[in-house]
Parts: sequence; structure tokens; C-alpha cells
Amino acid sequence: MLLIPLPLLSQGTYIDENALQPAQVNTYWNWGDVHTADLQLYQLDGIQERNLTSEQRAEFFMTEFSKLGLAASIQNYTFSTSKGTISGHNVYAVMSSPRAAGTEAMVISASWLSRAGHGTLNLRGTSTVLSLAAFLKDYSLWAKDIIFIISDDYLHGMHAWLNAYHGTVPSNLYTDPLEHTSGVIWTALNIDYSSHSFSHLGVFHEGLNGRLPNQDLINSFRLISHYTGGVPMAVYDHLEPSDSVDRGQSVFPPWVPLSVQQSPQLQQYGYRVRNVVRHIGYQARGMCSGVHGLMHQFRIDAITLFAVPADGPHGFHALGRIVESTLRTMNNLLERLHASFFFYILTSPGTFMKIGMFLPSAILVSVAMLFKGLGEWVTAGWVWEIYETSLKSSETEKSSPAKGTWRNRRRPLLSALIVVVTTHVLGVLVFNLVCSRWFAEYPSFLAPAIFVAVSVAPLILLPLFSANAPEAAPTSMLLKSSNLCLASTVISIMSLLNFSLAAMLAITMGVPLATSNTSSSTMISRLRYAGYCVLAWGWLVLFPGEVESAIWNWEVLGVWFAPFIFIVYAPLVMQAAIVCLQD
Amino acid sequence: MHRASVWIFLAHLCITSFALYRGENYREDLRVQPLRDGRVSTTFSFVTVLESAVPRNPNALGQLDESQHYALFPLTLGQILREYAITELHLTLNAGKWNYDNWGHPHEAGVGTGAELWAWMGASEVTTVDERWSGLRNALSGLFCASLGSLDSRRTLSPTVAFPLSGSTPTFSPHELRHASLPSENVCTENLTPFLKLLPCKSHAGLAALLNPQKVFDADWHGMGVHVTWKEDTGVELKLTLQAVFNPVRTSTGKRRDWNLQLLFDRSIEQSCPVASSSSITVVLPDGKDYQITPENPVHVDGLAIYDLSSSPNFTIPSNIAMYWPSEHSFQYPLPPLTPVTPLSVKRTIHGTTQTRGVLSVSVTNNSPQEISTGYLEMMPALLTLWMHTLKVEINSQIRSDLLSGLKYHPPSPQSNDRPSPSMLQAVLRIPPKTTLKISMEVSKAFLKYTEHPPDAMRGWDLPGAVFFPLPQSSHDTSLSYNWERIYTPTLLVDLPTPDFSMPYNVIILSCTLMTLIFGSVFNLLTRKWVVMEIQE
Repeated sequence: MLLIPLPLLSQGTYIDENALQPAQVNTYWNWGDVHTADLQLYQLDGIQERNLTSEQRAEFFMTEFSKLGLAASIQNYTFSTSKGTISGHNVYAVMSSPRAAGTEAMVISASWLSRAGHGTLNLRGTSTVLSLAAFLKDYSLWAKDIIFIISDDYLHGMHAWLNAYHGTVPSNLYTDPLEHTSGVIWTALNIDYSSHSFSHLGVFHEGLNGRLPNQDLINSFRLISHYTGGVPMAVYDHLEPSDSVDRGQSVFPPWVPLSVQQSPQLQQYGYRVRNVVRHIGYQARGMCSGVHGLMHQFRIDAITLFAVPADGPHGFHALGRIVESTLRTMNNLLERLHASFFFYILTSPGTFMKIGMFLPSAILVSVAMLFKGLGEWVTAGWVWEIYETSLKSSETEKSSPAKGTWRNRRRPLLSALIVVVTTHVLGVLVFNLVCSRWFAEYPSFLAPAIFVAVSVAPLILLPLFSANAPEAAPTSMLLKSSNLCLASTVISIMSLLNFSLAAMLAITMGVPLATSNTSSSTMISRLRYAGYCVLAWGWLVLFPGEVESAIWNWEVLGVWFAPFIFIVYAPLVMQAAIVCLQD
Repeated sequence: MHRASVWIFLAHLCITSFALYRGENYREDLRVQPLRDGRVSTTFSFVTVLESAVPRNPNALGQLDESQHYALFPLTLGQILREYAITELHLTLNAGKWNYDNWGHPHEAGVGTGAELWAWMGASEVTTVDERWSGLRNALSGLFCASLGSLDSRRTLSPTVAFPLSGSTPTFSPHELRHASLPSENVCTENLTPFLKLLPCKSHAGLAALLNPQKVFDADWHGMGVHVTWKEDTGVELKLTLQAVFNPVRTSTGKRRDWNLQLLFDRSIEQSCPVASSSSITVVLPDGKDYQITPENPVHVDGLAIYDLSSSPNFTIPSNIAMYWPSEHSFQYPLPPLTPVTPLSVKRTIHGTTQTRGVLSVSVTNNSPQEISTGYLEMMPALLTLWMHTLKVEINSQIRSDLLSGLKYHPPSPQSNDRPSPSMLQAVLRIPPKTTLKISMEVSKAFLKYTEHPPDAMRGWDLPGAVFFPLPQSSHDTSLSYNWERIYTPTLLVDLPTPDFSMPYNVIILSCTLMTLIFGSVFNLLTRKWVVMEIQE
């Protein structure tokens, strides 16, 4: 896995869909349109100063869109979660393209809050959307409808809009039906421009539950950004080593020796490590790296353009031209983006790794675990039976090996299966408890309580089970074998759905599950048990913030990372813990 | 002497042709209507009447037809009509979606996106209606360079209530309707050129001189139509129409809604068509008073300004009719809330993200203060199966099944050529005043055989729009005196389960097959134990 960031293993990105023709058009966005954007920004600054409510803001945006003659409307929505209700107001406008039947659509969106966090407002992104609306409607070359969306807050606004648009309203969402609709949305751009000006345009591409957009979209954006706007593209907001040196930033932490810091190869490696780690961080947790990520589940290929804050040199002029040209490229599509890659790791703006290169790292671990599990199963079936006679002789001559024979023995799986099922049921129970309102109210008290409860429960429950008959294989071996096989299956399945999660599972479960063992000393086995418990449930206490955000993601956005951890991961590690406990 | 006989012969010829001439009549009209969103709707109609002509009796199809001599009526179209004994024919080719809420009802009702063809034909024992329908499709697709040939039995239906015979009914035999639509048909210059060839003056003179493809096909909406009807008292009438909705606010530099013919078409009328019995331009005057129109002093009737081109002395054409709003700096779009112009507004969407099921939902809003009864027609290709038991009629989330009546549903039926016919759903809706009625039903998407997928780019399947039509007045004529015509909803695009036809999958499949073959034989060789058997005698 450490090899993944090596430049040698990556290959250059390329455009696979011939229809895209990126950066092949003359753009019409000019300084007059930049002036429009500036005027919009001035008005938005006023809104920020007057501290208008979300509803008043939505009214303002709707008036602005209506002044352009677009069919605009406001969507009011309310989510109910265990932490209370969240409500907001989205504004959207549909530009029916001339001569087109309106069966396909593209989306340009901006969320009110920027992904930069700390309540930063995406004022310039919003004004870009407004001025683009005024600009784009004056051209008759659009083959698809264009939908402009200014979504409330950061994520949940767009989520409510997308669900209402596709008619998949979850039970905890109350929303008005959309007044204006258009066709099937194929591609979308989300603009996030919060700073004064920018030096690079960062692309964020991870979607919910580990989905990625088609790589053609990112590649064509890179070409357009480079050739049309003259703006270099960045992966996330990470600048390439050559750029970041100018800014006095380094990819390495300060404690790294200077010789390492100045080696270009190591700098390149460090840069790629940062990208891969960030990618795995988003993907493994099923989190989206921006508003675009909500769209992937509806088969919309979308990315967020993040204007990396800098003192210059670029602003509305470059951004407008790039977005216009990207839209023209998306407009060329005759069918959905399908030609390029859907499974990839972007190691740098111009290089990526194919699934064939990184998948083996997780699969190898999983296969090793499977073999270990099968080996355990075979071992459980046989016992070394020492002859009575040789036993006596071995007491006298210790050096000679005891003579014996391999004897076949029964392997009753029932008790191991009971343990497996019980741990998973326990996981479901804990998950429901954590999702309940009580947990939301008293997390600091309940989290340690749950941790202690789930750790102590097996200690109490275990003596209730009758141990296997002495002539049969011990439960611990059978449990370990089934546990390893189960974990291996989970990892190999996950590696196809969400590679990063599979990689994290391979790291956290690979060695610990394989080395779980009973020990002759009660003290050591108790200590081991405690260690596994911490590995299984310790995050409840150690990372309360992560737990809270995972639960929020599950309740509002439907990210299955939280239930997966509660119902699959933790029980698997608990089974390993129970293996240690049995004698 | 010899020369004189030639002259006499020529004169005779002229007289006979003049005699034929009298049976035909051609008139043209252009109607220009400024719309409230700054756009300008223009409708050209070119009408040729074959006086006292009668459609061919299909029972006489086996016999020799009477000779066809036309001076104004296009021969190419006349031949098709006689060959297949068509009583009434309507063909429309449109691009864009008509915005009923802002633009009102179109001057010509047929504005469904793509191609739509329907014809009434008399039943006959000589050739069946379906055979003639197939011939008609192919002949018209050749004539108009459109893919009408693909309007085959998978798309053909007979919705007689929504598409009634608009002329008179001939008495010679019972009549049947064939209707088909192709929403994915693109309309372009190649369709306009044959259309113009059907006109007596082509595009050289008269109103048709304005039809500049560069401008017409840049319009926000454009469409052309061919309508052949037979009326007992007048004869066979051929009406060629071309509608276009221009957007002067988009094309002008100052974002103004001022328009003139030169600006809209980038052409002017140099001379009028000499064979036209009447030629006029009608401008529908907007409500406000702040506009000006030049040239002034036209005939004003009921808010219409009519410019008669044929009556102008010496053909002095008012070359450039213009309308402008001097007090406006730039056009201000009307701000919401906007009430739709039409009494009914319809929205239709298909929900569901999976490739196997979905929900078709239609919402119909009655904007008028009176109850409206409307017919609802859904003609769905067999790609989608509508599930009638899931049909729900709701107002404000309350089930109101009483508002739906006369439900008729024909499920897709398998045909001899293994192509299922479309399904047809027809119902009557009663919509209370100022309310929105929602109809929803679940649909399941078909799993096609791989040979049924088209070889071109897979963007999804276009579904034709639903049709809302006024009901025949005979049943009850209380207050439902709205004089409206058919409303077409926009078309939909639906994703069906599609195998990945791309190269990587082919490669994977091929290489996997190869691998299995090699593995199988190698495994066989390695694991087989070769033993010499001694057969004991």
C-alpha cells in the first residue's frame, strides 16, 4: 500500500470520450460579464452585512433569476434528525435551451456556505452562478437545459433539492414538490469561490459512499482550465511541490530533515502521499468532499471547482471562461459519460492509478486472511494424540519427540455461530441506541457507558454457553476460522465497492484478526481481550466528533459508513476478542 | 398558315390550362404575435385549395386513377395522397418545447416535440389500411427527408377521440385513424428545403421569401406542418404551416424586445407571389399602449393590424414591418408570481433512479375560475409498462378518484412481427377551478434483447409527450366554452437497462473465455492420472 503514491505506478490522464473536445471553443465571457458578477457580489455583500435570513436571501435570488426571464422558484425543506430539525430554502432556475426538447440537463450550482468551513460564505461562487445565468441565456447553442441552483447551507440544501427532483424523498425529509422541472441531469459543476482571488482551481471529486465521477470530466476540466483560463488545476487544495515551494510551504512536516525536504523525488512522493491519504480519508468514511458528491448517487457526474485562496492572479474573468468552456464540453455529450474510468486514484492533476494497480493491495490481505482462516479450520479438524507408551518415555527422555498419531475430530460450528450472530445483533442494538435521541442529548455520558457495556457483556454472557465436548474441536479455533473467513469476504467485497474502506479494513483487521489467540495465562488473555475491545469500540470514546458526523451523514445523507462500522466491523473485531477469552 | 395553326394550338393549350387553373386557389398569411416574455411568435400558413376535388375512394385502388393535373397544388404530395387514398393527413415536425404558460396556445395546435403523423383513411378490401399506412410513411419520409419510416407498428395507435377527423367524412367507406409520433426526430434545414418546394412560388417570392433557414433554425422554437383536409363544400385543402418563436431580446444588442421583419428573418419580401389570391401579414397587437408599429394605418380589427400585400398597387411591399417600444431602455421580464396564459398547465415527469422501475407523474393545473373537463391521452411505447392498479389521482395529497372517469387502457399487445404495439391510456379528468390535480402511476421498464438496442450513441429512450384534448361538446355544454385545442406535454427521456456495449467489456468477455479454455485443458492434463490398464481376457 505504501507503493500506491509512487510516480512510477501512476499513468498520465487522457480524454477517452471523443465527443468532449475540451478547450476547442472560443469563449465569449468578457469583462462586461465580469462587471455583472462584480455588481452581484456587491449586492451579496450587502446581504451579508444586513444579515438576512435564509428565506429573505432566497427571495432575493429568486427575484434576480426572474429578472433574467428564467423560470425560478424556491424550495422549502425540513430534515428531521435525532438532533432536531434542519430546514432551509433552495433557489433554482431552469433555462430551457432553445430548440431542445428539454430531455437532458446540466447543473451549475453553488452552496451558500463554502467548503472552506468556519461559516465562510460562498459569495463569489454564488455571484458567479447568477452572472453566468445572465450570460448563458443569451446563446442559442445549448443542446441541454441548464439548471442553476443556489442551495442553502452546505450539504443538506442540495441533498433536499436532488431528492425532490428525482422523487426519492426519504421519510425524514419534508419538502415542497418542485415547481419547475427539466430533463435527466447528466453532468454538474459546483462552484466554490469564497476568497478574494485564486491561484489554482482545486478539483474535489469524491462522492457519497465512495462513488467517483467519470474521470473524463476531471481530465477535460484540467485541459480547459489550463488552455482556456490559464489556471493550473490542483487536486483538492494541495499545490504541487514546485508551486508550494514558491509560497514557502512544504509538503513535509517541519521535523523532517532538510536533506529529505529538498529531494525532488521525495517531495513528489510526499505530495502524492498527501493526495492519496486525503482521498482515502474521504472515500473510506463515505463522505463527499463537496456539494457535488451528493449527485453521484443519481448517476450525475459532478465535481466541485474550489478556488484555492491566494493573492492572485485569477478572478471572475478566468473562472467564467473556464466554466463556460466546460459547459460547452459537457454540452457536446451525446450520451452519458461512460468511456473513461470510474475507479481510480488521482495521485496528481495529470496522473492517476487504475483500479488494476491498487486493488491487489487490499485483495492480497484479504486472500491471506482467507487462507489463514481455512488453515485454522483444517487444524481444528485434527488433533495430535500421543500414545500412552510414548508419553511415559517422553517423561524420561525429553529430547525425543513424543510419538503419536493425527486423529480426526468433530468440529461443531453451532456455538461459534451463536457467538457470531450475537455480536452482530449486539452491533445492531448499539447502532439503534446511538442513533436515538438519548445519545444525541447525552453523548459524553452514554458513549463510555456503551463502551463499557459492550466490553463487559461477553464476559458475562460467555459462561452461559456450554463449552464443546472435550473430544470435539475447541470453540475458539472454530470461531477464529469463521471470523477470518467472514472478514476476508467482507474486505474483498468492499474493495470493489469502496476501495479505501477495504484498505482501511485490511489495515485494522488484517494482522489483529490473524493473531488472535487464547493464552494460558488469564492475565494475558484478559489484556488481549481489552485491546481488541478498544480496537472494536474504542472510537466511541476516542473520536466523539467522528461518531457524531458519521451519524449525521447516515441520517441526513444516507451514508452507510456508520451502520457498516457498527454492524459489520465492530462485531468482527469483537469476535476476535472473544477468541482470546476462551480457553 | 402553318404558323397560325401553331398559335391556335398554343392558345388552346393556354385555355385548357387556364380552365384547370380555376379549380385551384392559393393564399398565404403570416401572423406575428409579440409574447409577454419578449419573444415573438410567427406563424406562416400557405393554403392551397383544390376546389371540388374528392379524396380517392380506396375501393377503387385497383383501378386506374384519374389523371392528375395541378398548377398550384404540389404534384409530389398529390401523388402520395392518391396512391394511398388518404382522406386526411397531418404531419408536424417540431423542435423545442412549446411553453404554454408564457406563450399561450399556438396558432397551429400540433406542437409536440419531434415528428407526429396521423392520417384518416377509408377502409377497403383492395389493400388494408395498415399497408397503405406503411406506404404513406415511407413516401413522406422520402419527400421530407425525415425518419418517418421508423414510425412503424411499435409506435402506431388509433386514438380516435383525441384526433378526430377535422374535415367532412366521405361516405364511400368507414374511416380509420393511424397515429404515430417520433419524439427524437431532429428538425433541420434538410426538412425545410423540401417543404419550400411544395409552395407554388418556392422561396423566391411572397411570404416564403422570408424563410431564411439561418434565422428560422436559430429561433427558440420552430416547427413545420402539413395538413391535408377535405371539406365537402370546398374540396381538398392543403395547409402548409411554419411556426417559429423568435427571441429578439437574445439576438439584439441592447436586450430590447423591438422587432422588425428584417431583424427576425434577415430577409425582406422583394415581390409578392403572383399566383396568390391573397397574401397578408397580421400582427397581433399587445395589450399595453406604449408600443409603436410601422408602417402605420393598416387595417385594425379586434386588436389585429392587417397588412394586405396582394392588394398593394404595383406590388409595393411594406418591406419591413416593425414594432418597437420607445419608452423602454431594455426589456424587463415580468416578475413572479405570473399566472399562466392558458387555462390549463401541465407538467409531466418520470421519477425513479433505478433502471427497472419508476413513477410517471402528471400534474394538471386549472388556472381558470371554472371547472374544466379534459381528455388525457398517454401513448406509451412498449418500453414502459404502466401499472393501472397503482394509478392515483390526488388533489393536495388527498385521493380523488371521482375526478377521473372513462378510463380506457390498451396494454401493449404482441404482434405478428414480434414488435409489441404501444400501450394507450385514455381518460377524462375533471379539474376543479384553481387547483392542481396529480396523477401518478408506477411503470416498469422493459429489458430489451441486445439486438433491439440501436447501434448509435445510447442517450436513453425518448417517450412521446402526453396529450390533453378538449372533449366533444355534445355531452354537456354548460360553462365549458373554452375554445382550446390539444396540449402536448414535453417529451421524456428514460434509461432502460442497457448492457455495456463498450470495448473493455468485449475484451473481458473474450479473454475470460480464452482463459477458461486454456485453464480447463491444462488442469485436465495436470490432474489426470495416466494409467496403463491391462484388460484381462
